[in-house]
Amino acid sequence: MSSIPAAPHRVPLLRPRECVVGGVSVGLARHLGWRVSTVRWLFAATSLLAGAGILFYAWLWSTVPVEEPVTDARAPAPPIRHRIPLRWVGVTACLVAAVVLLFVWEDTGGVASGLMFTLAVLLAAVGVLGPWAIRLWHELMAERTKRVREEERAEMAAHLHDSVLQTLALIQNRAGASSEVARIARAQERELREWLYAGVGTADSDLASDLKDYAAALELDYAVRFDVVAVGQSTERSSGELAAAAREAMLNAARHAGGDVSVYIEGSTSAVDVFIRDRGPGFDAAQVPEHRLGVRESIIGRMRRAGGSGTVGRGAGGAGTEVHLHFDGGRRDEQ
Amino acid sequence: MSEAITVVVVDDHSIFRSGLRADLDERVLVVGEAGDVDSAVTAVAEHRPQVVLLDVHLPGGQGGGGAEVISRASPRAPGTRFLALSVSDSAEDVVGVIRAGARGYITKGSSGAEVSRAVATVAGGDAVFSPRLAGFVLDAFGAAAGEQAQTDEELDRLSAREREVMRLIARGYSYKEVAAELFISIKTVETHVSAVLRKLQLSSRHELTAWALERRLL
Repeated sequence: MSSIPAAPHRVPLLRPRECVVGGVSVGLARHLGWRVSTVRWLFAATSLLAGAGILFYAWLWSTVPVEEPVTDARAPAPPIRHRIPLRWVGVTACLVAAVVLLFVWEDTGGVASGLMFTLAVLLAAVGVLGPWAIRLWHELMAERTKRVREEERAEMAAHLHDSVLQTLALIQNRAGASSEVARIARAQERELREWLYAGVGTADSDLASDLKDYAAALELDYAVRFDVVAVGQSTERSSGELAAAAREAMLNAARHAGGDVSVYIEGSTSAVDVFIRDRGPGFDAAQVPEHRLGVRESIIGRMRRAGGSGTVGRGAGGAGTEVHLHFDGGRRDEQ
Repeated sequence: MSEAITVVVVDDHSIFRSGLRADLDERVLVVGEAGDVDSAVTAVAEHRPQVVLLDVHLPGGQGGGGAEVISRASPRAPGTRFLALSVSDSAEDVVGVIRAGARGYITKGSSGAEVSRAVATVAGGDAVFSPRLAGFVLDAFGAAAGEQAQTDEELDRLSAREREVMRLIARGYSYKEVAAELFISIKTVETHVSAVLRKLQLSSRHELTAWALERRLL
């Protein structure tokens, strides 16, 4: 009698944490020392025998424990990953069950199997549509919350509109356009308006909104009132040379002219034009001494170097100054 | 300018009404005031002023604000013209009132002299366009994108001349300055502006109607 060969060391029957469906085949194959594909084929083949394979698989799935995670104990265990989502496994199982029950029902005509068939189909439908319905519900709720919030905001805006903005407007025209009080009221109005209607406007990186911001800043420092009108789609960036030249012209208008200054930005498909017009004492480009670089360099020169053009002249009727900046659309790729 | 222009001021803020009243010059005579839609309709029908200075946002009535006043009061006071006065400086807001029949709009930040001048212009049958409203018109009619009317009858686009006028107004030119710049008479400028106003009121361009419909609070 030879000694009984030592039983080969068997891997304990455990399901891996990373699996295709339930990890049963892999776990069983490791335990028995077989190839995984063999086990899978066996399950498939026995499934044809009145579903024995499926039942055995389901039984093992429910009874065999999952292997311990390899990470240290303090960290939370990573979730078990199924390569085929459990939802689809469930749906497939329900559909298979439905087909089987349909055959049974046709054979026996029993009420129970009919009910079971209906139940299986319903479960499959829930499995398919459930997550979608939940997501839809969440979106609906989010939408509602957002709408309620917007309504509240609009209500508050309406209230402030009726009280504070009116008062600020009144202060402005009672105090005279370029007085200190009017300037503060105007700045306050602008701030409040921006806060109230934030999000209504477009992104703030384009030329028009940049110049509007700059106008607001200048109004605080100088006795000036800007009226910025923007027309058309401006693709011009606020960082461009055009914006820099326009800001310089606005600063000049605020510093030397004051009063009402009009800024008009027109962006067409082929070109961008900016007009800055003041009603100050006027300005003659030819009479500016050589060493005064402001206009010549920072406006006209800058525009020419960037491939556009800048002209400074008298406003209509010889009153004030008008600066006209022009850029052709095709040549706007600076440097 | 021998006789003063009769005006009814409609605004729901009594402080603003009295402030405006004090600021208007002697060309203008305020004959009545109102603070909401219903009293405004009554006041206009009773006084039949030449011009109504009308706030865009008003309580009362069906909730239609200034536009409602125009549509209800104008049949009862045929000669009266309406000038919209708004705290808002966004022209979208005013499109509803303009389309209801107002002859122009100015912001409440305007000085008393500016308001008086605008009242005189409107009383004379002409339209009052602020630079912002002109800019809005250029945008709404696609003028910046190069759309141009082929005939004078066309309502959905601006003619080349109208576009020029609007551009100059948007640049801050007064009617007089526009006339000098384009070598035309002031009367011609006013005719062009009135024609644009008419287009603004009658055009069925999608943008205009959409804006008028979902007119925001401000």
